[in-house]
Amino acid sequence: MTRYIIRRSLQSLFLLWMTTLIAFSIYQLAPGGPLQFLDDDPRRSVADIARLQRLYGLDRPLLVQYLAWLVGEDWWSAWPAAARWQSGRCLANAEACGRGIVRLDFGRSFYFKGTPVLRLIAERIPATFLLSFSSLLLSVVIGIPLGIIAALSRGRWPDHFIRVTTVLLNTVPEWWIGLLLLIVLGGYLNLVPLGGMETIGDGSLLDRLHHLVLPAFVSAIGGWISFSRIMRFEMLEVLNQDYVRTARAKGLPERVVIVRHVLRNALMPFVTGLGGIFLLILSGSVLFEIVFAWPGMGRLAITAVNSRDYPVMMALFVITSFLGIVGVLMVDILYHFVDPRVRYEREVGV
Amino acid sequence: MTARAPRMSRPDAVRELTYWGRVRAKLVRDRLTLLASALLLFMITISLGAGWISDRLLGFSPTATNLRARNQPPTWAEEAWPQFQVFTQTCQTEGGCDWSRWGEIMRSTREGLRRCLTAGPGSCHWMGTDEAGRDVLARGLYGGRISLRIGVYVAAISLTLGVVVGLIAGYYAATWVDDLINAIIMTLNSIPLLFLLIILSRIFTPGPEGLALLIGAFGWTGLARLIRGQIFSLRERDFVLASRAVGSSPWRIMTRHVLPNVSSIVIVSAVFNVAGAIIAEAGLSYLGVGIGPPLPSWGNMMQGSLGNFTDAPWLVLAPGLFIFLTTLAIYLIGDGLRDALDPWIR
Repeated sequence: MTRYIIRRSLQSLFLLWMTTLIAFSIYQLAPGGPLQFLDDDPRRSVADIARLQRLYGLDRPLLVQYLAWLVGEDWWSAWPAAARWQSGRCLANAEACGRGIVRLDFGRSFYFKGTPVLRLIAERIPATFLLSFSSLLLSVVIGIPLGIIAALSRGRWPDHFIRVTTVLLNTVPEWWIGLLLLIVLGGYLNLVPLGGMETIGDGSLLDRLHHLVLPAFVSAIGGWISFSRIMRFEMLEVLNQDYVRTARAKGLPERVVIVRHVLRNALMPFVTGLGGIFLLILSGSVLFEIVFAWPGMGRLAITAVNSRDYPVMMALFVITSFLGIVGVLMVDILYHFVDPRVRYEREVGV
Repeated sequence: MTARAPRMSRPDAVRELTYWGRVRAKLVRDRLTLLASALLLFMITISLGAGWISDRLLGFSPTATNLRARNQPPTWAEEAWPQFQVFTQTCQTEGGCDWSRWGEIMRSTREGLRRCLTAGPGSCHWMGTDEAGRDVLARGLYGGRISLRIGVYVAAISLTLGVVVGLIAGYYAATWVDDLINAIIMTLNSIPLLFLLIILSRIFTPGPEGLALLIGAFGWTGLARLIRGQIFSLRERDFVLASRAVGSSPWRIMTRHVLPNVSSIVIVSAVFNVAGAIIAEAGLSYLGVGIGPPLPSWGNMMQGSLGNFTDAPWLVLAPGLFIFLTTLAIYLIGDGLRDALDPWIR
């Protein structure tokens, strides 16, 4: 068990390191470099741009830039040989040295006039978490019962109805369903607000819930479709097992068979789906936050992308990846705690 | 069916079809799949014929702007739309909806439709106009070219990558090659892909082909995993062992014995990939980072609706309808193919 947790954690660390590589290459892939947008301004001379590149350390070798971004450059001055690789900003003022993303220093935003990136993100994380976790909760609360009902009524109309609905919901983008519901429920019937997280000046719990209902429900659609599918499949799988037949044969009431023998075993594999769905919801939040004017990280991402605010983009990418990887890791460990049957080595294979 | 012909003289003969013959027979019997194929064919035809249809039948160019006719409702609903808006306003008052207004709404809709049907080309916007006064239907038809093209490209790219990588991983199972591929797949599966796609498509501002390349480059992991898993279970099967025993090369085993056995998975996953790509493109273009404005795509048509979707819902409805019909057809075909390709379902 301990060995499994250690190995799995090391794996996650490796994944995190990979995401920092991807994030850093985004910065470098930008045609013309990350400061290219300055070229649009005719008042800036070539010398100005060279000065800025020196200031931000963009004239250094890639590996040096990557290390400075990853682990910071403030401690380099201890070695005279390394000190010459520090960025101009850091040489001029020791306070301005980057401390590296491992110490949660994601640099400063280009667009938001030098605001620390971490502060920008910290302001928006609660909104994204509120939306993501409520929709995760909703997708479990809706998806699991639907899957159970579909499995228990296999081949009859509730099963068909649930399957047709899920297929139909799958054929259109979920955010489009959100737009339609906004038009009808928000625009015409005035039942829900047209966007935002709360009415300005009214931060009461009821008002917040009122704003949360539709976004959470819509961003949960993908989740509950998957959950109901997994659940239906697993239930049918377990219902065919010998021990279920035995339980029935020894005269247990059907309710007890379903709850104690079928549900308990069918719920196990469902736990593995949680991590992936969480990642899906987190990643999809970009779209839902735009549709519902939700003031979270997704909207910040679009602002950053549109204004070519590379520090913010990189930070958002690393942080959302971190949340996703840690989420999946926790689910995996949890799974191995709750399910005694799982062989730890199995997952190396197929 | 041709395979049956020479056996007709022996009435008691068991009808024997090849695997693909059986698949075809099953598909022909499957009405829903046939219907879905017809729908998809229709969508493809109207997209390919978009030029002719918008020139001759609609009389509008998809790019001709008309600033005097911005955000116009469908011409047949010119009268009915304000009436409908009044109706929705009554829904927001205390007394509840005033359903008696529906008679009037239906009457003016019928009249509008009759007028539109008899009028010549160039006088009727069937799906209204967008924020620049362009005809939404014409744009939707042209948009299908982009969206369907991206769907097919993405499917081709992720299919090729998925099959090749899956085969390599399966063949070199439990070596460093397999580990490397696994690491790549795990990385791609644990990062927020939509987010990465948004960033990359903003940086590169790709055209349809480039966007397809981007989406496809991240969409192959599921298929690769599936194929790798299948190879795992196939490699110990008797027919593979027999082939190895008679000295077949690994390449021959792969192409002759393994690939045909995974072909059904590959085909079905390719079909679903097309639908997934269309939806992904719509999302990216809606956010304004996919296909750029002069080209219409089903996603970027909705982008213009961002500010005024309650006043001009046709800007949201029309492109969504195109997406819905196309992906519904594709999903149904995929489902039908999955059943038809499964040798155990008769």
